[in-house]
Amino acid sequence: MRLLSAIVILSIAVISYQLVLMQLLSIVQWYHFAYMVISIALLGFGVAGTIISLFKKKLMQNLNFLLPALMMATGFLMAVVVSVSQSSLVRFDSYLLFVDYSHIGKLAITYLLLLLPFLTAALAIGMTFVGYTNQIGKLYFANLVGSGLGGLLAVGLSWVFTPQQLPALLALLPLAAALWIMPYPFTPKWLAVFFVNLGVITVFIFQPVPIKLSQFKDLSKTLNLPDVEIIHEKASPYGFMQVLSSPVLRNAPGLSLNFQGAVPVRKVIFKNGDWYGSVEPAYQPGDTTVYDYTTLALPYVIRKRKKVLVLNAGSGEAIALAKSKGAASIVAVEANSAVISLLSNELSKETAGLLTGPDLTAHQESARTFLLKDTSKYDLIVVPTIGMFGGSAGLNALSEQYLLTKDAFHEMWGKLSPGGVISINCWMDYPVKNPLKIMATLIEVLLESGIGEPRGYIGVVRSWGTVTMIVKKTPISAQEAALVRSFCDRMLFDPVVLPNLETRERTQYNSLQDDNFFQYIDTLFSKQRPALYRNYDFKIKPATDDRPYFSQFIRGKSLSRLTQLFGNNAIPFFEIGYLIVIITLVQVTLISILLIVVPLFRLGWRGRGRSHVLLYFGGIGVGFMFVEIVFIQRFILYLGNPIYAAAALISTLLIFSGLGSYISGKVAISKARLSNIFLGIIGLLLIYSFSLTTVLQQTIGLPGFLKIVIMMFVIAPLALLMGLPFPLALKRLNQVNPKLVPWSWAINGCASVVSTALATVIAAELGFRWVTMLAAAAYGLPLISTIFSRK
Amino acid sequence: MKPICIFLFILLGWQTGAFQEQRKSMVTNQLEKRGIRDQGTLQAMGTVPRHQFVPKLQQRFAYHDRPLPIGYGQTISQPYMVAYMTEAIKPQKEFKVLEIGTGSGYQAAVLAEIVGKVYTVEIVPELAGQAKERFTELGYSNIKTNHADGYFGWEEYAPFDAIIVTAAAEFIPPPLIKQLKEGGKMVIPVGSPFLVQTLMLVEKKKGKTTTKSLFPVRFVPFTRSN
Repeated sequence: MRLLSAIVILSIAVISYQLVLMQLLSIVQWYHFAYMVISIALLGFGVAGTIISLFKKKLMQNLNFLLPALMMATGFLMAVVVSVSQSSLVRFDSYLLFVDYSHIGKLAITYLLLLLPFLTAALAIGMTFVGYTNQIGKLYFANLVGSGLGGLLAVGLSWVFTPQQLPALLALLPLAAALWIMPYPFTPKWLAVFFVNLGVITVFIFQPVPIKLSQFKDLSKTLNLPDVEIIHEKASPYGFMQVLSSPVLRNAPGLSLNFQGAVPVRKVIFKNGDWYGSVEPAYQPGDTTVYDYTTLALPYVIRKRKKVLVLNAGSGEAIALAKSKGAASIVAVEANSAVISLLSNELSKETAGLLTGPDLTAHQESARTFLLKDTSKYDLIVVPTIGMFGGSAGLNALSEQYLLTKDAFHEMWGKLSPGGVISINCWMDYPVKNPLKIMATLIEVLLESGIGEPRGYIGVVRSWGTVTMIVKKTPISAQEAALVRSFCDRMLFDPVVLPNLETRERTQYNSLQDDNFFQYIDTLFSKQRPALYRNYDFKIKPATDDRPYFSQFIRGKSLSRLTQLFGNNAIPFFEIGYLIVIITLVQVTLISILLIVVPLFRLGWRGRGRSHVLLYFGGIGVGFMFVEIVFIQRFILYLGNPIYAAAALISTLLIFSGLGSYISGKVAISKARLSNIFLGIIGLLLIYSFSLTTVLQQTIGLPGFLKIVIMMFVIAPLALLMGLPFPLALKRLNQVNPKLVPWSWAINGCASVVSTALATVIAAELGFRWVTMLAAAAYGLPLISTIFSRK
Repeated sequence: MKPICIFLFILLGWQTGAFQEQRKSMVTNQLEKRGIRDQGTLQAMGTVPRHQFVPKLQQRFAYHDRPLPIGYGQTISQPYMVAYMTEAIKPQKEFKVLEIGTGSGYQAAVLAEIVGKVYTVEIVPELAGQAKERFTELGYSNIKTNHADGYFGWEEYAPFDAIIVTAAAEFIPPPLIKQLKEGGKMVIPVGSPFLVQTLMLVEKKKGKTTTKSLFPVRFVPFTRSN
């Protein structure tokens, strides 16, 4: 029982530490290192399997000593490695990876450093599996249940502690687990090691080493400004929020060159070190603001908007503008409760009632969930600004943007009152990508909604740096077009799409070197649109819920041409986010082969049934990870909160898989039974790939707890079945061919490590439905192996 | 000791010669071949020792065709971009030019080779200090450096014949437009670090301010397929 509890505690520590590392790397670098952390954790387990196989005898002889020792080592390493990885000798920078090659070495060292605590923890867990084979089902259950709880713990703790404090705080858990199983009575040596460890961890809890952000993060650059001060910090699972003040911080995106006044100084909010938005006060109806001098004001130029829906309201810039325009009812939707709390409490003096008043209703949930649930009609729906000034070098290439899919715009279109508009603001980028993709999305949505000539319903205005598009429920009238033209003249903006537009109007104030941009826009309205999708060097076909990667533009076939145009050095910066995931994939494949598979050749790759082991354990490794990645995505949209969705899903998946493993200890193995299990998994996956979307869409309006119950109903049977094959086959292999047991671990470990990044790449290229079907195909491999095996 | 000094002297001489060669090749291959024609600009780019404006560890890449990090999240622009921006303002000897965002000071030094007076403003105190020292060391007496918020420009010396904004922001500060002479030109590079591809030219003519996007790299993807 003590051992089981220790395994639960250690597993809680491992998973919560993994989630904390993901957040820390998102802060010091960018979010795409999440994939690296997942693969590092899995690699730890893979390498541990190999070490156990190679030194099984020695390890088992010293099991009673090694288990608490490894747990203590895990605690120590969890507290220390993050600080070491922040030292100047090791710290790497994403941007410099492609400029200063020493950073590739630093990345590799970071990778190996972060691997250490996972390796020691995995060794401890793996050794219990081997040392207590008779209890394998229970132990596996304890491991998965602990992992499930770890996700929930990480979410809970991240509300209370800063990301810097959390690694050391979580390090207390392995230490507690070690104490739990330390040989009793405690010897002075054990106690000395324990207290030294405790001392080190305590120091790191109260004096965490400050984390150093990439010098290219928005926050790092802002901190270089004079008299800058971090005035508020808020830890949350939505990200680490910081508010900065400086006499030189101002915000006026794409401001008209005709603006003669002073751009006001504002406090600015950062999330995980990235610019989140400026803090605006609640203007009075009729106030003139800097936003009146930006293209953001376009929807208000045509007519007064009584009822406004602001999606992903962020720091409230769009709310401030709506208030200044005298909107009678503003509905603001924002999932990040930490930012709502900051604006309503700590920054209440600055916001001066921005989030209060009879004119405002705030909803704390994801924009898509709100759109699916809400039945109201609006005069204006505001979508947050797309892109960044000067582009983002593709940092967001692999971030899921469910608000920018065709499905999302269909929902918005259905909520417009007669004369209502959707407004989308977008930074111009070069080569032009964002404006074309969003325009393609709007045109397709209108065509699919039965509008034969979308051009009459869309108005587009361009400043020197931004493009704002409005899509109107009814055709834009000549009078409305005249109002837009007058606005453009006052602000030195140019209309791009408007009824009866003359070519010369498009570049009256802001000319481009050539008219390609306008040609592409016109082509999107024509029958040549599919040809443009095919031939353009970037992917500008609209994103869908199945492939929600709006910012993923690069296509392999264009690389050589882009290299010719921009030079080799520029290519990585077109889509650095995607490239880093590809690099991670290549790196983990090589490292996992090197550290997991190659050492096992010492034991030999001999005996009957090798191909069966490869198919069986490789298949379930790939299948399990594909299912995990794809279902997290499916339920983010459903539950409306990415953090809770991921935690709830991972916990459900692991707990029910654990239950499956527990049951496996009580089930006699047979070929028919195994085949049925796989047929069950494949059947469920195929059913889900075709019907899950419908089920989720039909029930998305239900209260949150009911949706979690539905999620559990969907996941539980699948997870239960997925938890069975590994321990069942391992038990059987141990009886018939024990020499292949280490190989089964290694193959499964390798497949899992590689699958995390691979699933994301496949999702970006082909969509989630394909990932689900490939997961089913992966489970087909062990089915084949089972059917054709002799025993 | 003496042999070591001689060795270092020879090494330094060899290195300086090597940098000169690289600079010459940069002008020929990266600038002239890509269409930079202004003689003043080409001469200035061939004169200013770019390697003195980058961190020691980056010196071997100083004349490579790419931007380089200089610390504080800033970069020194690719040589071609510096030349393109310089050429874009059509610099004349009598010009008074304002630069917003001194950074390493390289752009200001290139301008100082051509125009009469360069005023440069940097908001990061460390970068401003380093650049000022560098200008003194290299003998650029016609550059005036100020550590201040670039938003306000430098009213004391306004109006300017041209303004170069090397550290572009989400908006063009109204004081800069005010400090630009009638008929003056302002250039602003637009792009993320290491990937600057567009340049915006702001012109003030007859009281009206207009912009023009200039693309140092011309991108015409669709037409090739049709």
